[in-house]
Amino acid sequence: MFLVHLWNYIRGYVIIVVTGKSIERFINICTKRQILLWDIVRKDNESAIMKASLRGFKLMRPAAKKSYCRVHILKKCGLIFFLNRFRKRRGLKLGFLIFISLFALSTSIIWDIEITGGKPEIAPKVMEVLKVEKIGRGTFKMGLNPKALASKIALQVDGIAWVGVELKGVKLKVSIVDSVSAPALIRNNEPFNLVAERDGLITHIEVYAGNPLVKEGETVRKGQVLVSGKLQNMRPDLGDFVVTKDVHALGRIIARTWYESTVPVSTTYTQRIRTDRSHDTVYLRILDWKIKLPGKKVPFEIKETTSFDKMIAGPFGLKLPIGLTIEKSFEIIEKQVNLTLDEAIRVAEETARAELAKSLPTDGKVVEEKLSHVEGEDGQRYVKVVIECEEDIASLVPVIE
Amino acid sequence: MKRGIHRIKRAKDKENSKNLGEKLARLFEIPGDVIGSRPKVTAIGRGEVLIENFKGIMDFKDGMIRINTNNGVIKITGNDLKIREITSEEIIIGGKISNIDYDA
Repeated sequence: MFLVHLWNYIRGYVIIVVTGKSIERFINICTKRQILLWDIVRKDNESAIMKASLRGFKLMRPAAKKSYCRVHILKKCGLIFFLNRFRKRRGLKLGFLIFISLFALSTSIIWDIEITGGKPEIAPKVMEVLKVEKIGRGTFKMGLNPKALASKIALQVDGIAWVGVELKGVKLKVSIVDSVSAPALIRNNEPFNLVAERDGLITHIEVYAGNPLVKEGETVRKGQVLVSGKLQNMRPDLGDFVVTKDVHALGRIIARTWYESTVPVSTTYTQRIRTDRSHDTVYLRILDWKIKLPGKKVPFEIKETTSFDKMIAGPFGLKLPIGLTIEKSFEIIEKQVNLTLDEAIRVAEETARAELAKSLPTDGKVVEEKLSHVEGEDGQRYVKVVIECEEDIASLVPVIE
Repeated sequence: MKRGIHRIKRAKDKENSKNLGEKLARLFEIPGDVIGSRPKVTAIGRGEVLIENFKGIMDFKDGMIRINTNNGVIKITGNDLKIREITSEEIIIGGKISNIDYDA
């Protein structure tokens, strides 16, 4: 019965007052016509209150006529009447429509791109392909063909064995499997020379294969052949016939190399100092779109800016792609500082060393460091730092004939 | 004379057929409400009476409801009587019931 009542509630029912002298007859006729009545209560001698379904109420008219009863509606109940109430409220309807359309819109775009697997350097390449294909955060999912996209990525990015593109909800998942690249093929029957990588003074030679062309204590220039891959043998017994054998030259050629850097000494330099003043520019950020919120312009002439995101935290540790991007600008004052000569020289030395540190070999060792002061023609002082290293300068280069 | 006998016979026949239905029902152990259109009255506690196979309601007053069935009229009296539900097959009467009378 509960289900019937629920059904009646959904379909809608009315509470009615029946007045007349023969209410029993009215009820009997109603039951014969399959009109469901329930909760019938006698009000007084000539009236009763009862409930009837909407369909039943519509069929009730002949029964009422036959039994000379009058039927009045006391109350309309049910879901239909409840919903009818909202029919007139336009704002609610509009809001509901907007909600539905926003919901549909927000679920039909890509909110996040996830690249899993693969080496770290491959992910940016994949992102580039996606960018060319104009797929990013905020792209519509419609018309996106994951299979075609996967094959495009696989074609355009090297070093990938397999790519899978999958749309999971609002997430675009790209899974990558690296391919193991084939090792470089070394053909043993072709000659390879050892060639000097840079200028240097040779201090030590170890040759395992090949014909050495230089000796210890010799200075070599960059590109000079150190060990030849062409082994030549005089065969006096064959009438000074030269037998040539092609090998891969192998060996270690340790040489002294020099690295130098010259830095002008200036007694004045500009110091950049942050002041206490800073200014925030706030952007509203949705996916990758930034909308600048109204605010003052940055009032500083020279500034340093850093930006950070404040995203809204969702449930389960998720971060929603909606939030604020705050650009913090700090005011900078440039100050001319006068240095004494000693201080200036020290600063120049440090910059020269820092410059050199970038170009020093990783496998060599520093033997000596020389500092010298040079005066240019125009009276400008320079600091010259020379670092002497010992390193292996041999590199394997195929012989081009 | 002939007429009279006939009448008696007819009356007897009617009674016999009535008995036959009951006998058959009893023979096959079928409940009476299934085979004929006998009313089935189910009282649940004191607050609910369910009557199946009824013909119609004859009287509906505050303290008394009379229901017509094939076996006569069933009268239910009590306080705050109301018809919980009524369809062509069954009627459920609710309220504080004090009497269920037959042939009233």
